Amino acid sequence: MQQDGFLGRQVQNWIRRRQGADRGPVTLRRGRIYILPTGLGVAFGLMLLAMLLGSLNYANNLGLALTFLLTSLSLVTMQACHRNLESLVASEAGAEPPFAGQDAVFHLALANPGGAARCDLEAATAKAEDQPVSVPASGEVTLHLRVPTRRRGWVQLDRVEIATRYPYGLFRAWAVLHPGLRCLVYPRPASDAPPPPPAPGSDGGGTARRGDDDFAGLKDYHPGDPPRHIAWKAYARSGELLVKEFSGAAEPVPIFDLALTPGADLEARLSVMARWIVDAHAAGQTFGLRLPGLEIGPQPGEQQRRRCLAAIAEFEAVEPTHA
Amino acid sequence: MLDAGERFRRLGWTMTGLVAALAPHMLRLRPWVTAFVLAACAWRLLAERRGWRLPGALLRAAIALGATAGVIASYTTITGLDGGTALLALMAALKLLETRVPRDHVVLIFIGWFLCLSTFLYAQNILSMAWVLPTIWLLAAALLQVARRGQGGPAPAPFRTTGAMLLKALPLALVLFLFFPRIAGSFWGAPSTERALTGLTEEMSPGDLSDLTLNDMVAFRVRFDGPPPPPVQRYWRGPVLTEFDGYTWSRGASQFYFRPPVHHLGNPVDYTVTLEPTGQRMLFALDMVERWPAELAAQSWDYQLRTRNPLHSVLQYEARSYPRYRAGARLSAALRNRHLQLPPGRNQRSIRLAQAMRAAAADDRQYARAVLALFREQDFYYTLTPPGLERDSIDDFLFNTRQGFCGHFASAFTMMMRAAGIPARVVGGYQGGDWNPIGRYLILRQSHAHAWSEIWLPETGWTRMDPTAAVAPERIERGIEAALPDEELLPGRLRRDWELLWQAGMIWDNFNARWNDWVIQFSRLQQEQLLRKFGFDDPDWRHLALMLGACLTAALMLLSGWLAWEFRPRRPDPVVASYRQFVRRLARRGLERPAHEAPRDFAGRVRQLRPELGPAAAAITELYLKLRYLPAPAARDLALLRTLVRRFNP
Repeated sequence: MQQDGFLGRQVQNWIRRRQGADRGPVTLRRGRIYILPTGLGVAFGLMLLAMLLGSLNYANNLGLALTFLLTSLSLVTMQACHRNLESLVASEAGAEPPFAGQDAVFHLALANPGGAARCDLEAATAKAEDQPVSVPASGEVTLHLRVPTRRRGWVQLDRVEIATRYPYGLFRAWAVLHPGLRCLVYPRPASDAPPPPPAPGSDGGGTARRGDDDFAGLKDYHPGDPPRHIAWKAYARSGELLVKEFSGAAEPVPIFDLALTPGADLEARLSVMARWIVDAHAAGQTFGLRLPGLEIGPQPGEQQRRRCLAAIAEFEAVEPTHA
Repeated sequence: MLDAGERFRRLGWTMTGLVAALAPHMLRLRPWVTAFVLAACAWRLLAERRGWRLPGALLRAAIALGATAGVIASYTTITGLDGGTALLALMAALKLLETRVPRDHVVLIFIGWFLCLSTFLYAQNILSMAWVLPTIWLLAAALLQVARRGQGGPAPAPFRTTGAMLLKALPLALVLFLFFPRIAGSFWGAPSTERALTGLTEEMSPGDLSDLTLNDMVAFRVRFDGPPPPPVQRYWRGPVLTEFDGYTWSRGASQFYFRPPVHHLGNPVDYTVTLEPTGQRMLFALDMVERWPAELAAQSWDYQLRTRNPLHSVLQYEARSYPRYRAGARLSAALRNRHLQLPPGRNQRSIRLAQAMRAAAADDRQYARAVLALFREQDFYYTLTPPGLERDSIDDFLFNTRQGFCGHFASAFTMMMRAAGIPARVVGGYQGGDWNPIGRYLILRQSHAHAWSEIWLPETGWTRMDPTAAVAPERIERGIEAALPDEELLPGRLRRDWELLWQAGMIWDNFNARWNDWVIQFSRLQQEQLLRKFGFDDPDWRHLALMLGACLTAALMLLSGWLAWEFRPRRPDPVVASYRQFVRRLARRGLERPAHEAPRDFAGRVRQLRPELGPAAAAITELYLKLRYLPAPAARDLALLRTLVRRFNP
C-alpha cells in the first residue's frame, strides 16, 4: 500500500529486504504478490456479517444461501485478484530523458504469458498513479511511469508497485519491483538566457572546419542536417535526398564553453548552456561544447544535441535522486 | 474522469439491479413508496441525460425526513419487515438522487442485496429463488462495472465474467450451506409482518369458506409413514368455534377449561406435515391426534394444537393420530353450558323447529339423524355461490335460500343441536386432499377447507357430524369438484379435466415439496443426519467444524486448480516460438535482446558484434517479420523459418 507513514515505510523496507533489487525481467511469482481487502471489501464483509446474523436469527435458509453465495463470491474474487497479477513478466523498456521540472517517463513492459486477459492493472510509483491498463491473453503492454523531476542529473526509479483491484474492487493485490531504473535529466533551459558569445576567430578555442561560404560538394542526408542545406534541385532530379556541403570559415561555428558562460552559479550557467544547445539545434546550426575535461567537437543534428545535453546534465552531478 | 456515456452506462447497471431487487416488493409496498422509487429512477436517468443538477444536501435531508415520517405514518414502525423494507427502498431512491462517485453506486448495490434478503424473509419459495438468483447476478455484474477504476482497456463482459465467478463460487457456497452450524432459537424477535395470508381463521361467517375454496394454494402437505387413511377419515382439525352471535362463529374469549381425556382406539396413523405459513397460531392434525412435537404446540381443551407465536415460515412436524377415538366421556357443567349457549332472541323460527323435531325423536342420536335427513331429503343445495344471508342467518338459510356451502350447513346443524339441548360446536379445518402419486404424499389446498360439527353424546363423547356429507356425500368421498354442479367454476376442475395439466401440476407440486424438505427445512437435524452419513456416530458441533474446514479446503483447492487451468500459458504462435528460440540461442552467447529493441535493430547489432552471424540473423529476422506482419503468410515460409532457426547455432 502507499503509505508514507512510519508503518508504511517499515513495510516497504521489509519488502525490499525480502525481495532484494531486481535485475532484468521479473516474473511476478506467488511469493511477491501481496493482497489485502480494500475499504470496499471491508464494507462488503460487514454487509455479509449483517446478512448472516439476520438469516441465522430468522432461521431463513435461503437468506443463508444468499449470504454464503456472496461470501464464496468474495473468496473467488480474492483468488481471481491474486491470479490477475501472478506470472506476469515485467521488464524495463527504456526511458526518455526530460528537462528538469518535467516528468521523466520510464517504460515498463508487462507481458502476459497466460491464456486469460489481465484486466485493470495499475502501476504506481512513489508519487504518481496512472490509468489502469489491461493485458490481453499472451499479449504485452508497455506502462509509462511518470516521475516528476526537480533538478538535473540522474533520477532513479527504485520502487514500482503493480497493483490490481480487478474484479469487484473488494481486494487489492500488488507486487513491488525494485528495478533501479535510471534516467538522465537535462538541465532546464534558462528562459532569459543572453545570446551566446560570438564565436572566436580561427585562432580561438573553436576552429570551424566547415562553414556556409563555399560550396564543397553533396553528401547523403542524415536526420538533423539543416533543411535549408538540402539540395532540392538534385532531389527533384534524382529522388535522392542530398545535402550541400560548404567549406570556409566566414561564419565561425559556436563552441559553448562553460568557462565563458555567464550566470550566478554552476546550475544557472548550465541552464544557459542548455538553452543555447536547444536553440542552436532548433535553428539547425552546427555547434560544439566545452566543459572542463571534456570537449565535444562541432556537429549538427539530434545526436549532437543529445550528447551535449547529456554532458552538461552529468557534469559534476550529485548522487542520483531516488524517485 | 469518466465520460458521459460511461457514467450513464454505470447508472443504468446499478439502477437495473436495484429495480430487479425491488420488483418482488413492489406490490407489497404501499403504492406511494413504489411510486416514489420509480419516479426517482426515472428522474435520475433524465437528469443524467439532460445534465440537470442533482438536488442539494438540504433538499435531500428534507426528502429523507419526509420519507421516514411517511414510513412511520404508514407502517407505524420502521423496525418491522414491512416498514424496514419500505425504508430500505426509500433510502435507495434517495441515494439514487445523489449518485455521483463509485461509492454511491456500491451503496445502492449493497441495498439491492439486502432487498434480496428481505424477499426471502417474506417467502422462501422457488419463485422468489428463481427471481432473486438472477438479481444477485445482475447486482454483482453492476458491481464489476462500477468498481472499475477508469475505463481503460478492453471492458470485460460483466455478465459473462460474473457468471463464471458465481459458478466457481457455487461449490464453496454449497459447502458453507451444508456445514455452517445453525443455531437453535434466535438472537432477537421474529420479524413482524402485517401481510394477510389466505387460509382458515378463527372466525367463520356465512360465505367465508366459499371464498377460500376458490383458492388453489397449498395449505400443507402430508407424507404418511404407512398407507394414507381413506378419504372419509381425512378430517384435519383446525379452529374449534364455540361462540355464536347469530351470524358469526368464533373461538370465544374464555379458554380456561380442563381438557376432557381422550381414549385412542384402533390403529394409529403416523405422518409428517409440512405447513405453509398461515400467520395463525394453529397446527393441523388428523382427528384425533395423540402425539406431536411438544416444543412446538400445546393441545387446548377443545383438542386444537396451538403454537405460542404466529407461523410466518414453513414448518414441518411429525404427528400420530388415531382415526377411532372416544373424546370426553364426561362433560363438566361449565363446558356443557358453553356448548349450549345461543344468542337470545335470534333465529326464533329455527329454534322452534328444532324443539319440535327433538320432541318427535326418541333420543339425541335419532334427533341428529333426523336433522341430517332434513338436509338430505328437502331441497337443500350444496353450492359455492350461495345467496347472502340476513342477520338471522340460520332462519334465512333454513326457510328461504336453502343454498349453502359447508359452513352454512355446519352452522345450521350446530345451532339446531344447541336449540334441542345437545352440546355442539363447529369445527373448522381441511377435509380430503389431493394424492400426489409422483411424490406419494397428500396435498391439502385452501380449496379443501371445510367445516363440520361436533356434538357431545353421553355414549360416545364428542362425536363428529358432517351435515355436508348428508347433502353432498361426493364432497367427502371424491372432493369438491365432484360435489358441485358442472357450471360452477373451480380452479381444480380444469386441472382434473386435462390429464396432462394435472400431471404437470403434480410434478410441480412434488418439486415444491422437495424444496420445502431439503432447502427450507434444512436445519440442525438434517446436518446431523448428513454427518452420520459421513461416518460420525454421535455428531456434535466439533464434527461439523471439522467437516466444514475439510470441505472448504477441498473446495478452495478445486477453485485454485480451476483458476490455474484458466490462466495456464497457451502454446505460443509457432512463428513467435521460432523467433524466441533464435533469441534464446543468441542470449546464450551473450547477445541479449532487451524488450524494447526492435527485431531489425537487434539483427543490426548482431551483425556489428558477430559479423559471421549477420547474414543468418538478418534472414531469420526478415522471414519472421514477414510471417508476423504481412497479410496471408505462406506455410512454406514458416517451414523455412523453422529450418533456419534449427540450423542457427552460434
